[in-house]
Amino acid sequence: MSPALASSGRSIDLEPDEPIPGRSAAGARATRRAISSLGAWRSDGAARWLFIWPTVLLILVLSIFPLIASVALSVSRLAFSEGSVDLKFVGFNNYQSLLFGTERTHFLGVLKAPNPIGWAIVIVVAALTARAFVRSMRSGRVRAIFLAIRLITGVLLVGFVWLIVGALASDGGRPGALIVTLTFVFAGITLQYALGLGLAMLAVQQVPFRRFFRVVFLIPLTITPVGVGYMFLMMTDTSKGPIEPLWIALGLRNFTWVTDPWLARAAVIIGDTWQWTPFVFVVLLAALESLDQEVREAALVDGASRWQSFVHITMPAILPVTTTIILIRIIEGFKIIDMPNILLGGGPGTATQSMTLQAYIDWNTLNLGRSAAIAYLLLILVSVVATAYVSFVRRRVTEIA
Amino acid sequence: MRNPFRRRSAADLSPPAKVGAFVLLLAWAVVVLFPIYWLLVTSFKTPYQVDKGPFYIPFVDFQPTLDAWRYILVELGNDTLHPYTNTVIVGLTSSIIALILGAAAAYALVRFTYRPRVGIIGLFIGCGASAFVATIVGAPLPIALAGAAGAFVVLAQTIGRRFSRALGNSDIAFWLISQRILPPIAVVIPMYVLFQQVGLLDSLAALVVTYVATNLPIVIWLMRDYFASLPRELEESAAVDGASVYRIVRSIVLPISVPGLVATFLIVLVFAWNEFLIALVLTSAHAQTMPLQVAAQNATRGPQWWAMSVLILIMIVPVVLMAIVLERYITRGLLIGALKG
Amino acid sequence: MRKGWSLRGAGLFASLALLASACAPATPSATAPASAAPGASAPASGAAASQPPQGDKFKGVNVNILTFNGPQVAEPLQRRAPDFERLTGAHINVIAVGFQTIYDKALLDASTKTNSFDAYVFNPQWLGDFVGPGYLLDLTDRVNSDPDLNWQDIGPFFRDFNATYNGKVYTIPLDGDFHMVYYRKDILEKDGVKPPATWDDYLTVAQKYQGKDLNGDGQPDYGSCIAKKKGAQSYWWIISVAGGLLQSQGTQQGAFFDTKDMKPLFGPNEAMTKALETYKKTTESGPPDETNLDVGGTRGLFTTGRCALSMDWGDIGTLAIGTYAQDKTGATITPGWKQTLDRNSGKLVNCDATTCPKAVDGVNYAPFASFGGWSGAVNAAAPKAQQDAAFAFLAYMSAPKQSGEDVTLGKTGYNPYRTSHFENLDPWLKAGLSRDAATNYLNAIKASLQNPNMVLDLRIPLTKRYEQDVLDTALAEYLAGQLDASATEQQISDGWNAISDEAGRDKQLQAYVASLGVQR
Repeated sequence: MSPALASSGRSIDLEPDEPIPGRSAAGARATRRAISSLGAWRSDGAARWLFIWPTVLLILVLSIFPLIASVALSVSRLAFSEGSVDLKFVGFNNYQSLLFGTERTHFLGVLKAPNPIGWAIVIVVAALTARAFVRSMRSGRVRAIFLAIRLITGVLLVGFVWLIVGALASDGGRPGALIVTLTFVFAGITLQYALGLGLAMLAVQQVPFRRFFRVVFLIPLTITPVGVGYMFLMMTDTSKGPIEPLWIALGLRNFTWVTDPWLARAAVIIGDTWQWTPFVFVVLLAALESLDQEVREAALVDGASRWQSFVHITMPAILPVTTTIILIRIIEGFKIIDMPNILLGGGPGTATQSMTLQAYIDWNTLNLGRSAAIAYLLLILVSVVATAYVSFVRRRVTEIA
Repeated sequence: MRNPFRRRSAADLSPPAKVGAFVLLLAWAVVVLFPIYWLLVTSFKTPYQVDKGPFYIPFVDFQPTLDAWRYILVELGNDTLHPYTNTVIVGLTSSIIALILGAAAAYALVRFTYRPRVGIIGLFIGCGASAFVATIVGAPLPIALAGAAGAFVVLAQTIGRRFSRALGNSDIAFWLISQRILPPIAVVIPMYVLFQQVGLLDSLAALVVTYVATNLPIVIWLMRDYFASLPRELEESAAVDGASVYRIVRSIVLPISVPGLVATFLIVLVFAWNEFLIALVLTSAHAQTMPLQVAAQNATRGPQWWAMSVLILIMIVPVVLMAIVLERYITRGLLIGALKG
Repeated sequence: MRKGWSLRGAGLFASLALLASACAPATPSATAPASAAPGASAPASGAAASQPPQGDKFKGVNVNILTFNGPQVAEPLQRRAPDFERLTGAHINVIAVGFQTIYDKALLDASTKTNSFDAYVFNPQWLGDFVGPGYLLDLTDRVNSDPDLNWQDIGPFFRDFNATYNGKVYTIPLDGDFHMVYYRKDILEKDGVKPPATWDDYLTVAQKYQGKDLNGDGQPDYGSCIAKKKGAQSYWWIISVAGGLLQSQGTQQGAFFDTKDMKPLFGPNEAMTKALETYKKTTESGPPDETNLDVGGTRGLFTTGRCALSMDWGDIGTLAIGTYAQDKTGATITPGWKQTLDRNSGKLVNCDATTCPKAVDGVNYAPFASFGGWSGAVNAAAPKAQQDAAFAFLAYMSAPKQSGEDVTLGKTGYNPYRTSHFENLDPWLKAGLSRDAATNYLNAIKASLQNPNMVLDLRIPLTKRYEQDVLDTALAEYLAGQLDASATEQQISDGWNAISDEAGRDKQLQAYVASLGVQR
């Protein structure tokens, strides 16, 4: 059974009473008994509930109240009056100020008309989306309600790309927290996965000191994120940090990376990658170590190149783990806060201010309503991204299987 | 001495490729270790030496001093030891519990089939919300909870049966991981209120429970993949032989998935060990943990690099030691033994 | 069959540990287990000369004080707590948390009625948020009737403005915070340059020394070092720059809002433009990464001799001891301006006897009591015994004898605020300052403290949002070039107006006027 199929979580569809074709009566009885104990294993009464309910219950209890409470917060305003806390309902005020009002330039950014490249991007995306929609409409397999959903989704997608282009690929546009966070997430994940996979592949080889390497590579993950932030602040200090002689030797004495928005973002991404690559590394390492080596060895002996064995044997085998890791990193990555906060306070200006950092600044000044509103916008965004990712991946994985 | 880069089997890399691999590994090791080295060196400096510029080698570039170490370990003494023990207790306890519960749930999601009905879920949320609203308008908590529970049971038996649309395992899994999407900042104050109501503020128990809940989704998602990649035949043949689920899990599944379990344990341990925001809000005097001490080194006078370096270094020591001990379990030796046995 | 660590064993351990942690001190204990809490475990000060009387006044009383984990600020509290316990029997438990969270923790604790803290040593700026809901105890009668406290010895500004809200006293000052400008005395004297009296002078001096080698190590150094990092404490410096332009009629005029209609003074007007431009110009004579430096960084630069000028609270004076800048450091009152703002027209007018009645030699100084100075307050909801003991401890810390010693030590983070602190040079000399340096330093502090046009920091409800949210962000965007001066002023003004309107403009105006009022 291929790993891909196994990982789809589907169980064998046999009822206890269903006869297996082509067996004798006695054999059928024996098989039926075997299958019913198999069935017992598959849906054993007590274990079925015992394994899952503690988890579900714990998470339900601890998540319901904070979830409802923070939704309530996001539509209210907090004030302290004589001896109590006032929560005044203000409707969508908080959301409105973030998307259209005073905080728009901080959250969405400064949006201007796109330049030619920007136009090109928008047009291409719009065309692709339209084509996908038309195809699904023509196929006739999709019901009307889903067509409507797809239409709306398509429009929203194009609108979203328009937003991004208006901030990044335009004259005088400036990305806000939303787009900065997206940059951090996607650049970060790409780097972290590439590095993590590469390092894991190297670390399973029979090289000297490999155990030393495997332990050392875990170290960045073990440092508390606040600590990593301060560590990088020290490291990137161009006047008294360790790179100072290098900086001066390159003639950059009077230049600093803290005043350039993209260099600042790069610094955050580098720090984030340094910190999280071990996460990808250790999970992939365990996955690679669990692989059955015989198939691979046979292929190599038969004359397949290493690259071929990697692409056709190793990659498909670790594909499920890969998709999980990337999903987890996407979800975690959107919450990035410590690195930009400690390195630059979200600066220069607001160039590295991620959404969670903006929520934190509001939280710290007890503007709990707006802080919760930012968190919920983040929730919506990431839920959409995660759902899209999961359905995309699921389709691909079953295709490969 | 035999060539350490020699080829050991037919499928192994060629010696030049091995040297190349070694060099790359060494390069990344330097990237990882240099900042740690810098932390170490900074912990031996005086504030004035830190401000003056980069000094790299003790005794050669600058005169090292034990001031920062003495300050953290001796002068602060108990103020360091107490959060440290808290971190150890909370980290280990919550990771072990999360691993046990999460691995069980992951196995269940991979091998059993669940069909939670949408209607029941909706009812549950509705009753939960009503209980919440009831407490807000003044009803005492136990009564509101009991009333909601009763209403849920009754309604589930009557109305609930009419909804047949059901979700599946992957939906449950998605719900679990979606718990991690909301940034903690949005929920810390409600959590503060929640724990205050049950009188568990500033306690290690509150931290443990919260960390277990927040880290369970990670355990489940990671272990799901490891369990799913196990060949079913082993478990099936054992089931046909009459083994119970518990026996199968204990004797077959767990030993084979040790690499996955160890990797997951290390990850979850690290998450709990280093967590900052929840600890910040839920604790004050008694249950403080180490990350708070690290962040607190950022004084109004600027970050105290020397003291902070000491704190960071002593924080990572136990985790690194644990990684050294557990790393050997992330190898394939066990798997081969189990399969062929 | 390998079992590894058996599930049973792990489960047993886990449940035992969980049980143990649940039974561990979850509630603050009434008596003091020395190992359970961060606090008074520092060695006794040993300064008790003759045997102090064993007091029983507060025997068995445990006081929880929330403050900042510095180590400054908490250090003197922890150091003197054992002495106080010997004197009175009260056990002081100092709970020190990170700077960013004192406000949140104190408010959360008080507003949810958890009341795990009996007293706070915090920022008097927050009186606006704490006094309104009634979280703090009124100390007016107590401070006036405590002879050891010697309330009148405290500088008038701190007594009448910092510690008072709406005419009542709520805090006991333990520290006096305001900005001063520091300069390289040796270099300026050698070149015959006077310490800057106005901000234009400041820019001139800074430009003169930018790029020169000021500490003999062959590397070019900087003219001015002012910490401008976002999300740190940099937003206060602009108030020091703008103060002299915005306020000229004395402290009660206020420098943040118009007292008639709550219109933000930090908005579109010529004064703000001038202040912003000056502020940005100082960056041109500073280190290249100045916009990401916080106070620790600029202090380090000054004490290693790399800055000709800097602006700071009182710390550089004492921090310079033992560094390159020892005995080379001069201090002076924050520069002022020869112009001031006409609030009706929004334009700058020259200083004369009417427009700048408090000017000295034609310069309108407005030293900014930024942050206010760490002060102690008592929780109104604490039990009476705790309240009395907490007040007694805070009074003890502030009393001339104890505070006189603490303000001379750099490690305490406390700066002078009492008249008696200036009159005796000996503790300063003992701390390591030369006679010249000590005199110069104290004179600068005295000139600032006694200036009748001192600027009081904002102390109305939601102060943090005005300053840390709107002002800090707008300033950072201005320095990064994302906004120009007029857009910055507009953003600050819009942001402040939005907060005022949300909280109730009249309410905020009342609070603002109340925070500026004084009743003796």
